[in-house]
Amino acid sequence: MDSERDTALRVAYFTYDVEAARFESLAAFGSSSGDLTLKIGPISSRTILRYAAAFAIVALFTGLAEYIYQLSHLLRLSALFLAAVLVVAYWLGAGPAYFAAFTAFLAFNFYILGGRTPLSFASWESILTLGVFFFTAMLTGSLTGRLRDEAQKAMVRARTTQILFDATRDFSATPDEAFIHERLAHHLAAAAGGGALVLTGAATFASPAGLAVSEDLRRRALALGEVDSAAGAVTTFAEGWSLRPLYADGVSLGVAAWRPPAGGKHAAEAQTLLAILADAGAAAVARAHLAAAKSNAEARARTEELRNALLSSISHDLRTPLAAIMASASSLQEFGETFDAATRRDLTATIQEESERMNAFVANLLNMTKLEAGALAVTRIRFGVQEVVDRTMRRQQLAHRRTVVEAAPFAELEASGDPVLFEQALGNVVENAIRYSPAGSTVRIACERADGEAVVRVTDEGPGVPGEDIGRIFDKFYRSPSVAATAGTGLGLSIARGFMEAMGGAVTAANRPKPERGLAVTLKLGLAPQ
Amino acid sequence: MSPAIHLQASDGPARLLLVDDEPQIVRALTPALTAAGYSVETAATGEAALSQMAGNPCDVVILDLGLPDMDGKEVIRRIREWSEAPIIVLSARDLESEKIAALDFGADDFVNKPVGVGELLARVRASLRGRERRFTAQPSFKAGDLEINFPNRRVQVQGDEVRLTPREYDLLRTLARHAGRVVTHKQVITSVWGPEAQVDAQFVRVLVAQLRQKLELEPSAPRIVLTEPGVGYRLKADDDA
Repeated sequence: MDSERDTALRVAYFTYDVEAARFESLAAFGSSSGDLTLKIGPISSRTILRYAAAFAIVALFTGLAEYIYQLSHLLRLSALFLAAVLVVAYWLGAGPAYFAAFTAFLAFNFYILGGRTPLSFASWESILTLGVFFFTAMLTGSLTGRLRDEAQKAMVRARTTQILFDATRDFSATPDEAFIHERLAHHLAAAAGGGALVLTGAATFASPAGLAVSEDLRRRALALGEVDSAAGAVTTFAEGWSLRPLYADGVSLGVAAWRPPAGGKHAAEAQTLLAILADAGAAAVARAHLAAAKSNAEARARTEELRNALLSSISHDLRTPLAAIMASASSLQEFGETFDAATRRDLTATIQEESERMNAFVANLLNMTKLEAGALAVTRIRFGVQEVVDRTMRRQQLAHRRTVVEAAPFAELEASGDPVLFEQALGNVVENAIRYSPAGSTVRIACERADGEAVVRVTDEGPGVPGEDIGRIFDKFYRSPSVAATAGTGLGLSIARGFMEAMGGAVTAANRPKPERGLAVTLKLGLAPQ
Repeated sequence: MSPAIHLQASDGPARLLLVDDEPQIVRALTPALTAAGYSVETAATGEAALSQMAGNPCDVVILDLGLPDMDGKEVIRRIREWSEAPIIVLSARDLESEKIAALDFGADDFVNKPVGVGELLARVRASLRGRERRFTAQPSFKAGDLEINFPNRRVQVQGDEVRLTPREYDLLRTLARHAGRVVTHKQVITSVWGPEAQVDAQFVRVLVAQLRQKLELEPSAPRIVLTEPGVGYRLKADDDA
């Protein structure tokens, strides 16, 4: 009777031993699958131990009664045996209590009273004693049992909460789907005791690792994942496997499977908990899906934003010179005769300058494309740096009507590289300096020889670049927030770097030391061999 | 080029304010605008434009939308808070939504960069005429073959009377009010269906097609009601090139 009730309890609550679990830390439970073994066997050693303990207690009380009798010759000692039954019922439960009641009755009747009183076994008094003993055993035993039930229920609730808590904490730690699948398998296996699987179309996650999965199970699981009606149900399969499709937001995300240890089985409550665990996993996977979709959408939006900015920038850089050319040309056509000579000269100069600017812009775009495609042809010849610097200065001064000053002329500086690419790189750096510094301020170019390299330094009096962004100004499409209002593609400096590196040179930038303001960009190229 | 017709309220040449941050554009446009008889002032930023307008109001503003200090739409909004001076948007942006927004903010017209000075001057003249019409209501409108008599709602093409439905007439009247300048879909909807109407731009297209059937010699190649793709419509003015 006792072992039946006990077994029923154990099966109901997860195949774990109440007494043992009492001394287990709750946190340790999830991973200690060894303690989850289901015992449905006939009589466990623990049960035998409890009956033995009951017998020992009765024997102890019998000894005590004998001692009191020797001292006082009192024979009304049934209360003492009642106490023994009470103690057993309280400590060891109903079964041992009945056993103790019977043993105590026998000990009282035959050992204490036997031959000492005229009362016989069949007397009314002895029947009454036996009745009281049994009644006490029943009442106390069932009260104790109920207490234990409550304690056990509370513990199972705590355990369930702990399992779900551990699992969801794991799930929420990452948006990585594979990790969530792996942890779901782990937590299911820990809770089920036997083992667990998470099957998705692409992969199988097993816990413990290396768990054998039969082809039949895999087929059945994948078939289940495709049937909508299977959602929200637990399907059983051979070898004790239970299968539950992972569903979230009406989308099938795979199938979870679990089984109890060999020879065991799960009760309804356990299955419910496992199903909830599987659903929590499905929800986490769905959340990971959403997070991935969101970050994809954000990346797309950023790309889109970048593309729009680039298109509008290119359109601006191409159309502005075109607009000036068109306005000048049509003005000359419509009002040519009425303009004075100076105005006519000014308009034709604008046409020429703007055509050159457009040409330079188109050349930049083309070179960028070549650089990207790896189709840039680099020649390596000896050339005079000074000559290129002079030409760049003249051209940029003309195009922008700004002052570019040469701080340190260096006539005999000769470098080895491609003079055309170097001129374009330098032109981009100077144009950048002019574009992002106030009108009327001066841009300076200085040449020097240092550490076996030809060095050209371009400094402006603009706002400089915020410290943390200084490393990014050579990145393609990067534009400093401090110049956001000025049109530009963010291509010029990245092309300059591409060209310099293609020639084995380098270009770096630094804010000028305070109290000066502005940016200093340095181009370095190897000296021509002597 | 015929000498410019000035219809400004004040005496002397009409004053234009050219707002553009690209110096080469200003350099290229100023001589022609001056030669056409206008007095030209320039500004390179939105703030400069606003303070110039406040100090000495101009008759027409030619405004680039991409200014370094503030959005061109903001400049339009702030000018419109107190001034009715025609604003012509000059923009290299080919985003239709930008143009529509600029027009809805109160700009009168727009031209895309690059633009020939001939077209720009025609738009300036149309703007000045439109402003003139706002002050003196004309009982009739005439442009090319088209003639509209507003008091008795009569429309004639090459002297032949054309019968229009009330909506078609409202549309034509709206376009004629802004002759030579662009009218957005939204403006058409507001004046034909009313400001609260929930009407799709598709309704406007259908109505315009109906109107063209009645006015145009060749409705598929319109010469009176012109389309500004993605933005709206423009009724051809007398001296449009």
